[in-house]
Amino acid sequence: MSQATTSILYAPGTNCHEETAAAIESAGGKAELVLLRDLIDGRVRLNTFQAMVVPGGFAFGDHLGAGRIFATMLVARLRDQLVEFLEAQKPVLGICNGFQVLTEAGILPGRSPGKRAMALLENQSGHFEDRKVRLLVSPEKCVWTENLAGETLSMPTAHAEGRPMFCEADSSRAVFHYSDEHGKPTLEYPHNPNGAPGGVAGVCDETGLVLGLMPHPERAALPAHYSQDGLKLFKNLVKWLNQ
Amino acid sequence: MAIHSVYTLSKDDPEARNWLSFVRRHGYPRLANVVIERVFWLEGEIKLESLMPLLVNSLHQTASPRSQLDPSLGPIVEIAYRPAVTDPETPSILAGARALGENGLEFARLSRRYQFSGLNDAEARRIAARFIYNHVVERIREPGEAVTTLHPKGRPDPVGTITLLGLKDEELVALSQARSWYAPLSQMRAIQAHEQVQGRPHTDAEVEILAQSWSDHCYHTTWKSLGLLKRLSEATARINHPLVVSSFKDNAGGMEFEDGWVVTIKGETHNFPSSIAPFGGIATKHGGVIRDTLGFGKGGYPIGGTTIMGTMDPHLPEEETPAGALHPQLIVSESIRATAYYTNPMGIPMMHPIYRCHPGYAKCFALGHSLGLIPKKYALKDSPRPGDVALLIGGATGRDGIHGATASSTGMTGETLEKESAAVQIGHPITERRFTSAIPVLRDQELIRTITDLGAGGISCAAGEMGAETGVRMNLDAVPLKDQSLSAWEILLSESQERMLVAVAPEKLAEVESILDRYEVAHSVLGHFTDTQRLEGFWRGQKVVDLEMSFLWEGCPIDPTTVAKPERRLTPVAIPEPRTAADWSGAVRRVLTHYHCADQRAAGSRFDSTVQGRTAVGPYGGKNHDMPTNIYVSAPLRGKLAGVMTTVAFNPFYGDVSPGAMARLMMIEAITKAVVAGADYHQMVLCDNFYTPRVRPDTAWDLREMVETISDLSVELGTPFISGKDSSSGTFEAGGRKIDVPQTLVVAAVGRIADVHDVVTKEFKRPGNRLVLVGRVDADALGGSVYADTFGQRGDRLFDVYDAASIRAQWDALLKLHAAGGYVAGSAIAEGGVFLRLFEAALGSGFGARIQLDAFPPGRRDGCLFGEFVGSVLIEVPSDTNLQERLAGIPFRLIGEVVAEPGLALIDQGKVVWEMQVEELAESWRQTFREVVE
Repeated sequence: MSQATTSILYAPGTNCHEETAAAIESAGGKAELVLLRDLIDGRVRLNTFQAMVVPGGFAFGDHLGAGRIFATMLVARLRDQLVEFLEAQKPVLGICNGFQVLTEAGILPGRSPGKRAMALLENQSGHFEDRKVRLLVSPEKCVWTENLAGETLSMPTAHAEGRPMFCEADSSRAVFHYSDEHGKPTLEYPHNPNGAPGGVAGVCDETGLVLGLMPHPERAALPAHYSQDGLKLFKNLVKWLNQ
Repeated sequence: MAIHSVYTLSKDDPEARNWLSFVRRHGYPRLANVVIERVFWLEGEIKLESLMPLLVNSLHQTASPRSQLDPSLGPIVEIAYRPAVTDPETPSILAGARALGENGLEFARLSRRYQFSGLNDAEARRIAARFIYNHVVERIREPGEAVTTLHPKGRPDPVGTITLLGLKDEELVALSQARSWYAPLSQMRAIQAHEQVQGRPHTDAEVEILAQSWSDHCYHTTWKSLGLLKRLSEATARINHPLVVSSFKDNAGGMEFEDGWVVTIKGETHNFPSSIAPFGGIATKHGGVIRDTLGFGKGGYPIGGTTIMGTMDPHLPEEETPAGALHPQLIVSESIRATAYYTNPMGIPMMHPIYRCHPGYAKCFALGHSLGLIPKKYALKDSPRPGDVALLIGGATGRDGIHGATASSTGMTGETLEKESAAVQIGHPITERRFTSAIPVLRDQELIRTITDLGAGGISCAAGEMGAETGVRMNLDAVPLKDQSLSAWEILLSESQERMLVAVAPEKLAEVESILDRYEVAHSVLGHFTDTQRLEGFWRGQKVVDLEMSFLWEGCPIDPTTVAKPERRLTPVAIPEPRTAADWSGAVRRVLTHYHCADQRAAGSRFDSTVQGRTAVGPYGGKNHDMPTNIYVSAPLRGKLAGVMTTVAFNPFYGDVSPGAMARLMMIEAITKAVVAGADYHQMVLCDNFYTPRVRPDTAWDLREMVETISDLSVELGTPFISGKDSSSGTFEAGGRKIDVPQTLVVAAVGRIADVHDVVTKEFKRPGNRLVLVGRVDADALGGSVYADTFGQRGDRLFDVYDAASIRAQWDALLKLHAAGGYVAGSAIAEGGVFLRLFEAALGSGFGARIQLDAFPPGRRDGCLFGEFVGSVLIEVPSDTNLQERLAGIPFRLIGEVVAEPGLALIDQGKVVWEMQVEELAESWRQTFREVVE
């Protein structure tokens, strides 16, 4: 049997797909870049992949709202494929703009394409924040963070809209918290770069398969990077796929 | 067709809060609140409710068919694009609607309503005009305005002809000014003579093309007249460096990297538009220099960028702003917003964000670099062949940027702000991002014969240059327009951003088009290359351009430039030396809070420095990532440790004392910054960017001296310049006052390193280690220093003593010491002297240092710490390193040690003369720039 392949979905304006593929391959996995247009036009089908990542960037220029158009395309044109993918219990990751896409599409936190239950608002500072952050991993069950609970991971973050807003219908579970020098979850800027309530930097769904986070694990994954902590997420993916 | 409108409001809007504090600071302290409402205008047979998920997120936005603003709370100004102009979001809305099955949506537009509580209507309009919209493409939509259709409409002017026959010299000059050609008399006469010979008047398009192609910006008339282009490129040719793949002939320069890859470098200034409309100017500065990378060889890929700004002091009192210029604080804060707006969506890591000030920058200095990567086999262009297709890709052509080339080649006056606002381009990074993804695909499938970007001069310049040897025939009706009222000459000259021109063999056209469609890049066949050696253009059935290439590219007369040695009135530095601990505290604070030395993260942290996953060392490092590293290290080939290191030297003060010495110091500073971090100057190339006052005999003298200095020094060092750009338009005139920019040269160095893990950074590593100053020290040479500037003085003598042989010996010794692991931290001395390095290294490590002032040679004590000994380096050395042996023949001195306590102490003759906690110093250091930006 050929190796399980992770699809990395990208659209015009996505700009982190290549390094995300490199990080997965560095973790021993196999990744394939998949153009959203090719999925919509039927040249590629999602069910040929065992996992899916929506990487960072500014898909469609973030026109009308961060991740909005990408999410609209997913929900309106690929709903059946998405539902099939989720029902097959396959892992999904959204990084930064990808996290925004997953929440705009309702895939996070409720696994319900078309039903939004959380939002990522503009940073409290009102502008883009490029920072190196520390992320405390919570004990929530999540495929991507298995055996990492209690660890503090260092990785970059770079976004203008990453402040989670939770609402009543929200069923998300916080997996990552921005932490201070002592590893404690914090509201203090710039350790918490966007004003996230409770310091929440990433959430997963109730199954622990779908994860979204604002920071960039793929930029802390290769030997040349200042930290390799992000690689741990991708190693967990590969481990899960190989089970 | 029915037109629907949807008004949306955000429940939580930090952008509105930012505008509130920004506008309050800029002259409207009474402003009580700002609310921003967005309006979608939708034309067609649609079910509005099915579009709602696209238009709003109901979790945090509300929508209504009518405005949700209460008019009694303050004046409302609605900003919309002009009827002839397409909104940048229109294609996204249409695509989103189609995805939702709403195929009946024919057109969509957006407008934004700003409510300014606490102000009157006139004030609200002034604010909108000054800060919010660009009247070239946008306008205020008046209340109650009837809308019949959203489709763009407009009617172009017919083709005109211009006859110069019979005009006297002064009439020619007056006409050139009135039409914004800014062509000197000699050029006007040449065009006049050409009209005589060809026996017909020129069309307006032809004269416009000639004026812009011969502008200083495009033709480098000043540099050609002084023989400078030749001087610098000949120096590079003489060095004949084996790593240089391409120099001074393409859109960037290229150096061989490894595994068959080439790294490229280009720096581009965008001073003029940035001075009158900083947001648009700076956004397109980045867009333009990135396209230089995309247009290198058969298409490079951008992997790093810089933003480098010189303005007047942003703390300048409002009333001292020169009439007709923008306040420097506005330029700086708008430039930061624009850099974030453009480079972040482009996905290009910020390598060096640098902000400097000088009272001469009334016309600001705005430089950006682009570092690129390309396979070596595609690093050289082919020539287009007759029959090849000229394919225009990217954005549509609009009214923006007309006369950019000519207007930027002249000085700036108090009226320029009004008269030439059309010369400012509007940037849309998403459009450029689309072809940034597609170009490497086309290149790797060998579908590109040659490629270039559309910059100054637009279509006419790109097509004219590409087809200079063959000829090109253009069909202007094929050019997609975002403004339907453009006439032929405007289509040819428009500097609308985000466009590239590709020469494609006809049999490959279909394949190229299908790849571009997949990446959603717009394309159109502009025309064909011919064998006529003529630039030909057709529009609506008329031939609007028919010029022989030889006249276009060789017909420009070059006026001789007179050169005369300038008189400089310089006075020695007169600063009282610090005596007491309080004096020292004052001196230290002066330097740390100086604009050039202060923490600039309030700007720098708004730019993505790690996107692409190639960043090994970013602009900020140390334990809390708040220490400026002064280097950028990329590992371009993912999974490999081979690196590219970049550094930049920019000092606007030194040129006031001696332009020639400044030029030399900038080269040495850029190279030393890289060498001390572990990059070998034998594997390094340089990029020069000049910004000088308008040419007069004295400024021409300085310019020539600078270029001769760097040309000669590059040969002596063996380190070549491979790319560069000049702008000789740095003079601002208003109210009888003439303000020259300081003689400006920015040098960027690009080096190769075998393993990014071997890079030595600045922060201290271990208490007990020794601190060693390697290189010469001259504590009395405070001319041009930040320290002297804090006393309002420039001085009369720069630190500048090196001959090439001794600096090379010093670099060689350092590189050997580095290879042997002989030092664990290092930084090159530049503005702020030894002291700034000590402070930053302590901040980045959490340790401190004790410094022996009596270890320095006799001279001013403050000069030891604040003197800018360019070429010297501070290194941290483990106590077992034998320096006598390893640095034999090189001047060096042990000046102190690293200590565990996070404080800095100065010791003279065994007595502590001053000490302070690093955190206390850091508080002052953080303040200056934050005040500017926030």
